[in-house]
Amino acid sequence: MILKIVKDHILVMKFKKNLKSIFLDPQLEYKTEDEKLNIILSPSLYWVKRISLPVKNTRDLLKLLPSIFEDILTDGVYSYYAYKLDDKFIVFAYNDKEIMNLLAEKGILLSNVANIYFSQTELFNEEMALKINDSEVLYKRDDILTLVPVDWIKEYKDLNLDLIKHTKHKVALHQFGHIVETKSLYSIGVILMVLILLLSSEYFITKYKQSEILDSKDEIFSKYHLKSTTFQNKALLKKYHSINKVQTNLRDYFSYILGFKLKDGEYIASMDIKNKKMVVKFNGLVDDRKTTLKSYLKSKNIPFNAKIFKDNIKIEVNL
Amino acid sequence: MNRINPLYIGLSLLLIIVFVSYKLNLITDEYVKSKEEYRKTLSLAEELKSLKSVYDDKDRYKKSLRKILRHSSLKNSNIKEVKGTKTVKLSSDNMDKKAINFLMGKILNDTYQIKSMKITRLNDLNVSLEMELVW
Repeated sequence: MILKIVKDHILVMKFKKNLKSIFLDPQLEYKTEDEKLNIILSPSLYWVKRISLPVKNTRDLLKLLPSIFEDILTDGVYSYYAYKLDDKFIVFAYNDKEIMNLLAEKGILLSNVANIYFSQTELFNEEMALKINDSEVLYKRDDILTLVPVDWIKEYKDLNLDLIKHTKHKVALHQFGHIVETKSLYSIGVILMVLILLLSSEYFITKYKQSEILDSKDEIFSKYHLKSTTFQNKALLKKYHSINKVQTNLRDYFSYILGFKLKDGEYIASMDIKNKKMVVKFNGLVDDRKTTLKSYLKSKNIPFNAKIFKDNIKIEVNL
Repeated sequence: MNRINPLYIGLSLLLIIVFVSYKLNLITDEYVKSKEEYRKTLSLAEELKSLKSVYDDKDRYKKSLRKILRHSSLKNSNIKEVKGTKTVKLSSDNMDKKAINFLMGKILNDTYQIKSMKITRLNDLNVSLEMELVW
């Protein structure tokens, strides 16, 4: 098993080393399969300069490159690359979108592009001029590789990339550089991350508050000695409300009824309260006195039934 | 060129935002509901406590009733007291005007639960009484 893994690993490494390299030039046509490729950019796809500047490293130099190339570049979004050669710097400017468009035009999928190199770095050590196509030759002059017409050069050889050993000077294309600047992409990313952070914080704070309120609710149950379920407590409350209503009505009606001013010969024969019903018997109420009593009870909003027997009247009130 | 497409990263971040927002929305709804439930439970508990203290305080009723029945105004009324587990029955065959006024004043002005009551006029000055109170 371990042997198989090691063997597979070696195979992958071998595969990585043996990636096919192609020279990308607008004048050339390609027959590509679905395989990973190393791309070497033709000088027609980038601008290169050899300069000498008092900067310590290439990082500082990169910041200056837009202004260095300002005069020769046409409108567009460019990326820059630089490295030191002896006491000078070799600096590059290239248009990502232009290269990507050419790759698409030549039928090369971006996902199949493993690495991108410059001719300047990869073919710098070739001693003879290299024939790129029927009309152009790659020629080195003052340490800069350029394309020149084939008629200008007497001795040249065909370009062969089969045994090429790549340098470390590779670049990555900024696929969205022409739409949004990389800086803006980072800013958007940071804003989104901050938003996620804020929302997550809000989520955890709310969750904490939610658990706290649930704990407080449980505390109410123990503090007020409530029954275990809300249903039971509501039923108990309903029962007490019913008791309260009956007892309050009883006292109110009792007070109103006793408040009726009786005349001589009139009296309350009995007061009976049973099964949430109050029955009061008045005796000796003659003629309109019974009506007066009923009007009085109505004025006090007492819902009653009256039964009259001669001079007696029986008032029934549901409590 | 095997770099992760920034668009995918952006979309992933947006998806995370949508997911977190959705979860936040859910927990906020739950929190609002819990808060409302807490408020209702507290209100129910306080109301229940207050009603219980009014209608369900057997010890207080016992003490208070004993005090009332021992009062000098009721001495001649010969009130019989029959205590049950849930109720107490009071009865008197003959009570004068002053005694019934005193007793009813005390009972009605307190929070005794009157289950049943019968006051019958005997003559201009006297009544009979039967009363059942819950405790």
